[in-house]
Amino acid sequence: MKTLKLYPLELGRLLRSRLTWLVMALTALSPAVGLVLYKPAVSTTMNSLYLANPAIAGGVVGSILFGLLAIFELDRACRSRVDILTDAVVSPLTTALTRLLALLTSAVLTAALTMLIWFPISAGWIGSVFDGVDYILAYLLLMGLALLLSILAAASAYQFTRRADLSVVLFVAFCALSLTVWAGNWQLCWLNPCVWALSDDFSNFRVFRSVGYMRLTWLAALSGVWTLSWLCVRQNGKGAFGSIARSARRVYRPAVALALLVCSGMAYAAQPFIDHSNPDLTVMSFYEIPYAEGVTFLSRSAQVFPDTETGTVTGRAAYRFQNTSGQEQSISFGIDPGYGVSNVQANGKDVPFTVSSYQEYNEALLEVTIPAEETVELTMEYSGFPQETLPTMQGGKELSGEYLCLENASFSPRLLNVLPGENGYPAHLEITLPDAMIAVPFGASQAEVVAEHENGTKTWHWEDNSASDILYAGDYVREDIEAGGMSIEFYYGRKHQAVMEEAKAVEAVKAVVNYCTRHYGKLSFGTGETLKLIQSRVAGGAYAAGGASLLDEADFTIANLGDTSKGAVPGETFIHELVHQWWGLGNMFDVTDSASPWSAEGLTVYTTYRIVKELYGEAYAKEHYIDQWQQAVDDYYLNFYVRHPAYLDMLPEAERLNISNSLSSVRQYSEMPLKILKAERLVGGEEAMDQILHDLFNRELDPMYPYLTYQEFLDACGLTEEELNLG
Amino acid sequence: MEINIQEVGMTYPSGKQALKGLNLELKSPSLIGLLGPNGAGKSTLMKLLVAALLPTEGNILVDGAPLARAERKLKASLGYLPQDFGLFDELTVTQFLDYMAALKGLGDSKAAIQKAIGAVNLEEKAKAKIRTLSGGQRQRVGIAQALLGDPPFLIFDEPTVGLDPEERIHFRNLFSRTAQERLVLLSTHIIEDVQSVCDQIVVIHQGRIRFAGTPERLIQSAEGHVGVFYEREAVQEEGLHITARVNTSQGVRCRAVADDLPPFAQAEEPTLEDAYLYLISGEAAQ
Repeated sequence: MKTLKLYPLELGRLLRSRLTWLVMALTALSPAVGLVLYKPAVSTTMNSLYLANPAIAGGVVGSILFGLLAIFELDRACRSRVDILTDAVVSPLTTALTRLLALLTSAVLTAALTMLIWFPISAGWIGSVFDGVDYILAYLLLMGLALLLSILAAASAYQFTRRADLSVVLFVAFCALSLTVWAGNWQLCWLNPCVWALSDDFSNFRVFRSVGYMRLTWLAALSGVWTLSWLCVRQNGKGAFGSIARSARRVYRPAVALALLVCSGMAYAAQPFIDHSNPDLTVMSFYEIPYAEGVTFLSRSAQVFPDTETGTVTGRAAYRFQNTSGQEQSISFGIDPGYGVSNVQANGKDVPFTVSSYQEYNEALLEVTIPAEETVELTMEYSGFPQETLPTMQGGKELSGEYLCLENASFSPRLLNVLPGENGYPAHLEITLPDAMIAVPFGASQAEVVAEHENGTKTWHWEDNSASDILYAGDYVREDIEAGGMSIEFYYGRKHQAVMEEAKAVEAVKAVVNYCTRHYGKLSFGTGETLKLIQSRVAGGAYAAGGASLLDEADFTIANLGDTSKGAVPGETFIHELVHQWWGLGNMFDVTDSASPWSAEGLTVYTTYRIVKELYGEAYAKEHYIDQWQQAVDDYYLNFYVRHPAYLDMLPEAERLNISNSLSSVRQYSEMPLKILKAERLVGGEEAMDQILHDLFNRELDPMYPYLTYQEFLDACGLTEEELNLG
Repeated sequence: MEINIQEVGMTYPSGKQALKGLNLELKSPSLIGLLGPNGAGKSTLMKLLVAALLPTEGNILVDGAPLARAERKLKASLGYLPQDFGLFDELTVTQFLDYMAALKGLGDSKAAIQKAIGAVNLEEKAKAKIRTLSGGQRQRVGIAQALLGDPPFLIFDEPTVGLDPEERIHFRNLFSRTAQERLVLLSTHIIEDVQSVCDQIVVIHQGRIRFAGTPERLIQSAEGHVGVFYEREAVQEEGLHITARVNTSQGVRCRAVADDLPPFAQAEEPTLEDAYLYLISGEAAQ
């Protein structure tokens, strides 16, 4: 009770200090650091650039400032000898608790103030894809909670040591651990959460949940540590151990500390977000499981019920097999490591099954013994929170009312060791989604609504023929486009509609597909008749297969569409990204060698130039492309570090990488297009070059090394590397 | 309020024994003066009485209950002015007293604050930031916070340090009035303050109580042991402790205490200061 009475006075006292206001003001301004100096979110989505980075930077800077303020304030009472007066009338434990509450409140006020100040700025910069919920959650989780953690950590250090200098050293070391050694460990980096990207067009609940979980784990841990340190608050002239012996006489105090520490330990160990897949990606033991003898696949079905509120999935799967072996057989499935399996029955009877603790490629091994009956219908239920493998690139398994992506074992248990029957792997699949979501199976299959429910959900059904499934669903806008002799379904997020319309996305798709199909041929992964272009949530890359192609939202952000190295105006950058469907997807290019200008970008930029030339004329294309490339290359050859590379090696790593990346970018986006242009002249003009590129696009692939190399390009042109030298 | 100190000893972790075998009974109403030279153990005794330290030997009983169990009760009934204390400089006098009133859990803090400010004559500075106050004014804020809520037990450690003579008299009278209903422990080097207002005196020296009783009794104990003489008359006399030297037209007139006055000294009526010095000098000699 006394604590509650004291709290407003202590808070009032704290807020009368100029130092407190200085710390609050600097913290409120600190998100600016995330715009220029500290950018842990590497994606180019608007929310990454103008929300995640400022919020994380604000959290880091603000936390350090508030931690130091906490030490200063706690030490001040001792330093100025006010504690002699206060300790005489009230227990020092009470004043310590009150001071902590006041400091925490000032941090909460600062976070609220920061959110108010940055709201209009962020909304302005992020533009049409700005989302108030994302904004609040980002500042709350990425910044706000960090301030509270730092105050707990700093106050603990002071209460343990009762020395300001030592506490500062301990606190700074704790911050430094998070920023360095623990930076790649999503559970330990308490100060700077592992957030590499925030989506603009879809939701970010998975990332926010993960950060929230990390923060709450630390909150429990540091609250426990603080409670222990609180017991060490010096009283009756005793030292740390004497004081703890005296304070711990009320048993609930150490019990609370212990309970908090145990809770945080359990939360750490039982995190539901990341699986324990074998980090050695060369191991593929699940693919080496021998096929079940005499068992063939007849059909399968799955009904999936995602819970968009909790981010979990429940499902029922049924598999029909023919077992001609006359014996029991063990059937293997890959399941999402976050799922639990239950009710496994064969022909209506329970059958034994095991789920291994070993995990590989985001799958755990489910093994089910089926009976020695000729036809077996195996049914099972599964449910849980889908897990991911890469802790530093979380968000891929976003599951919300705006977006979901269920791939392979996350959709339903993936069959591993049964040979297909004469009809292959026929599958009947269903998913029940909120009304606003459209289900888009990745591939040629078409989903259709088969039932509408009173609770505002719809059940979608589609058929497929594969051992596993990939489904995207979201609040999509669908555009139907006829181009290049194909029917194209173009799906993009509703939030991105304004940006897509400004970039004239539909026209760009038409232009690119018409041009590329005419010049290079139909996309190799399609059926030739239909193509799905699906905008995915930011994922760090895209892929294509079976008549569908993924477009990573990061390639179509306002910032990216304004990148003039890819196109003069947003529409042209959109063209550039679509050209990557021909030059750059899947196994077209090997990992880029930083020493070489050869990459997917050279041919893509060159093709973009050709399309723009066709659309807007030669003069426009020359001014906005060839002249720009030439200017960039001229500057490149004059660059000090290009002429004196030895000096580049002497720079600090971060600066060196910054410069070398920038130089490498010029080589890929400007030097190589110029070389291709020179090759075009040398081989006899555009028509000849188009034929060469057509042949390269449709070449027979070497399965051991399917990538298109610079040498192959030179050979196809009948040129040498020297002949394409510029200058 | 009744405090019983029973065979209390205090040894610091450094090994320094500050108090030994202390027995004392403090009962309200009373104004007790605590006297003793520097390092005698006065501050340690006061820290024990406010539970800032716990004794390493013996017991302190608060209204019959051991201090370890009665700490909360003691703190609720205590007003304490330490010798060396700090204030929150960013607060005004009223805000600081409001803060202290909340710590003490006072119900009607506004009235209590006004009363305390009035008692220490700080009405004009009530809204001034503490950082703007002089040393004497800060001392008065310290006294005011101790008086807040009229606690039944008050401990003042050198309360009149930094105050001018007029203020000292004011506070002496204030302490005297306060002690009419309470237990007040006043530690000071200024014997005059003690003499004017205290009804009991406790003299501590080298960690032990050397005297506990009324000022009159202490004075009586020095009768026949105080004398005056001119310096020229004095030869090297052992056991003669000069307590004052005054330059006069006839030479330097000395006042001294001694077990046996020399023949050239003229006996004088002892003052409390003489008695205190006689007591301490005798102890020192032993």
